[in-house]
Amino acid sequence: MAHDLGFWTLQALNALQLSMLLFLLSIGLTVIFGLMHFVNLAHGSLYALGAYFAASLAAVGGYWMGFFLAPVAVAGVGILLYSGLIKRMRKSGPMAQVLVTFGLIFVLLDLTRIVWGDLALAIDVPAILSGRLTFLGVEYPTYRLFIIALGLAIFAALAFVLGRTQIGAMIRAGVDNDAMAACLGINVERLFFIVFCVGCALAGLSGAVAAPLLSVTPDMGLQILIPTLIVIVIGGLGSLKGAIAGSLIYGFVQTFGAVLAPQLASVLIYALLAAVLVIKPVGLFPAKG
Amino acid sequence: MFRHTALRYAVLVLLASAALFQAFTAEYFGLEILTEILILAMLVLALDIVAGFGGMVSLCHGALMGMGAYAYAILSTTAGIAPPVAMAGAVALTGAIAWAIGAICSRSHGIYFIMATLAFGQMAYSYVFEAPIFGGDDGLGGISRLDLSFVGIDLNDSRSFALFCLASLGAIYGASVLILRSGLGRSLTGVMHNEQRMRALGLTVWRVKADVFGLSGMIAGLAGVLAAQHIMYISPGLLSWTVSGEALVVVILGGLGTLVGPLVGAAAFVVLKHELSAVTTYWHLVVGALLIAVVMSRANGIFGWIEARWGARIDRRLTDATRKPEAKEVLGDA
Amino acid sequence: MLETRNLDKSFGAVHVTRNVSLKLERGERRVILGPNGAGKTTLFNQLVGELTPDSGSVHLAGEDVTALPVAKRARRGLSRSYQKNTLFDGLTVEENLGLAAAVHTGNATQLWSDSLAKPEVREIVDEVAEQVNLMPYIHAKVSEISYGVRRQLEVGVALATRPLVLLMDEPTSGVGPEMSKGFHDLLNNLPRDLTMLIIEHDMGLAFDVADTITVLNYGEVVFDGLPEAARGSKLLKDIYLGSWEDA
Repeated sequence: MAHDLGFWTLQALNALQLSMLLFLLSIGLTVIFGLMHFVNLAHGSLYALGAYFAASLAAVGGYWMGFFLAPVAVAGVGILLYSGLIKRMRKSGPMAQVLVTFGLIFVLLDLTRIVWGDLALAIDVPAILSGRLTFLGVEYPTYRLFIIALGLAIFAALAFVLGRTQIGAMIRAGVDNDAMAACLGINVERLFFIVFCVGCALAGLSGAVAAPLLSVTPDMGLQILIPTLIVIVIGGLGSLKGAIAGSLIYGFVQTFGAVLAPQLASVLIYALLAAVLVIKPVGLFPAKG
Repeated sequence: MFRHTALRYAVLVLLASAALFQAFTAEYFGLEILTEILILAMLVLALDIVAGFGGMVSLCHGALMGMGAYAYAILSTTAGIAPPVAMAGAVALTGAIAWAIGAICSRSHGIYFIMATLAFGQMAYSYVFEAPIFGGDDGLGGISRLDLSFVGIDLNDSRSFALFCLASLGAIYGASVLILRSGLGRSLTGVMHNEQRMRALGLTVWRVKADVFGLSGMIAGLAGVLAAQHIMYISPGLLSWTVSGEALVVVILGGLGTLVGPLVGAAAFVVLKHELSAVTTYWHLVVGALLIAVVMSRANGIFGWIEARWGARIDRRLTDATRKPEAKEVLGDA
Repeated sequence: MLETRNLDKSFGAVHVTRNVSLKLERGERRVILGPNGAGKTTLFNQLVGELTPDSGSVHLAGEDVTALPVAKRARRGLSRSYQKNTLFDGLTVEENLGLAAAVHTGNATQLWSDSLAKPEVREIVDEVAEQVNLMPYIHAKVSEISYGVRRQLEVGVALATRPLVLLMDEPTSGVGPEMSKGFHDLLNNLPRDLTMLIIEHDMGLAFDVADTITVLNYGEVVFDGLPEAARGSKLLKDIYLGSWEDA
């Protein structure tokens, strides 16, 4: 298999684009878990909702309306879920939480079918991002470059917020030891609520961003769930570093696996996950030692 | 440790009678549903053993069932091995794979255990999907059922096959009870309650987990063999994680760690699915809402709820005539 | 019977075990004393293998077991009870003892028979239940018995593996003074050839049971000798200050 440098650059960009999409999705899930010890399996469904909201809003007011308002709408759904279900499940064991959110997947799946129907929706890339750019010597779709840039920007923003600001310090304290954080006068419940909403908004954003690349279908949330879970388990639950590392590992293994060993590609990532769990049962960069 | 209460016996008798009644009176469609229930019941029994009595919440049991089905299909059609031998081979192979998965995952707990088993299940799914020998997306067809003509039973008849599945389920139920009541089963319960202490007592914890996971895998494998014989055609969808998820939902809806509850759950689930999908295409919505309601009510599923609420009273009623009230205190009765 | 040689362990900058060497003869009953944070439980965890020492070794019945995992050491006759009850909560007293006895008799992984129905298991269960006064509660679930009885069961479960060496981490922790006294009578009535290492907080009670006394302070052995010598030791008074004059 002789490929030129351009080919590999292209693959690397593909891998990076996939990684960034997964990062947007997994960061919310992993921080919610780290802070609240809450595994929200319905996170993928929120991503699907984001895509649907974006598609509907784009039909009314263009792509950017969807891009900016879909996350807000999904955060709104998050608020409903939080006050209706999740707040009450805070004290339950992880198993109960997994099951309730598993039930939520079913409910949200059929609700999107009821509202938007079974047919796939399509959404156009906005004119300004629709062309191709020459980047590192290869022609690459502008929209995909936009996703990479967006992912990196969000990563930088989160790294700044978590690492350098007051609220970031509070979140880290909460992840580390929520009882102690509460003793220090941090309103942990409100912190949970804010983090949950931001996590939902990011899930909605990734749905809105992914919508033009894929067709918007009711089961897209279910399809993305497993890769997202793999990302956070490989990376280690609860940490930004883990989410970005896991996303990059997944993106690159998946993309290059498909090129280099097509027969093994799909097995490869699962084998990697199994290997990580055997060697480091809590992932590569867990939030807690 | 698993114990039969009067209520559990009563429910078992009810279920068995209902199944027999259905088997002898139903037409083709009713028999298909019955067989579907029986096979799902076998799968959820396997899952309840590990999840309900060992705390190992597995998301690869669907894949194990699929492995059993594929192994039987390959052995009996491609390799041309006689069905009884192919059945035994498929069950043994699935058990061996499950044992290895159990051994590897034995160090993981909670959400990590779930993810680890999910990873192995998805690995199998992807492999079956990709490898040409398994027919890929198209699946495999032309699978034959067990030939029992030497005792005058034709399993190609739906009624006979349903009865055959019922008998197999009965045998597997008995075997499950024996497993749970054995020394191994007791140790498993000990591990679930307090793994650290069992280790401090000198138990090789990973072996116990792996052994039970292997046995459970054999049961799931047998369910897969029966599923393959039932539909006579298999596709990779059988190994999908959603099958495992559904099995887990059935166990939870029925009552984790009660063995009888999951049987009730399997019957309720399949019937509900068929009834609802006749009325609406949105039956997932109902199942999802039901799951949320059951878990949020903090009851241990439908059967667990009945047991907690009326179990003692029903037991007293049922046992008054035959046994002393403190009969449930008698231990080592197995 | 049980020996440690230069056991050393640090957690980061905290030196929790400093060069600890102990030697217990067969049948010896030794009490470990020391203030909170002296490293008593950490030492236990290294003895049974729940923690790995940074350096030094642990010997059981003349064999180096430092590299063996918890379960293997237990099977060679090292058993422990915990300061915080570590029982099988949903099960009965009999089943709790039975689990331990089953491991000891090799019935814990048997698929073909119920371990609790085996005569050899039953014999141990009955004997231990008698030894630690659990007979009246034998069919009660752990959740149904009082805290004091649970403490007895905690020791009972450790005894049911028929150990050569029994390590007890504050067996009377949390029970009242009168019950503690009864508990010590119970320990005194255990077979004389059982080697015991006991962490105890209450000095007065410790002297009820001990043949020998070891005092740990900041992870270091500061006293090792007979109870009579300990009683008069100036060093011990300094460590415990007034707290043991009252005892």
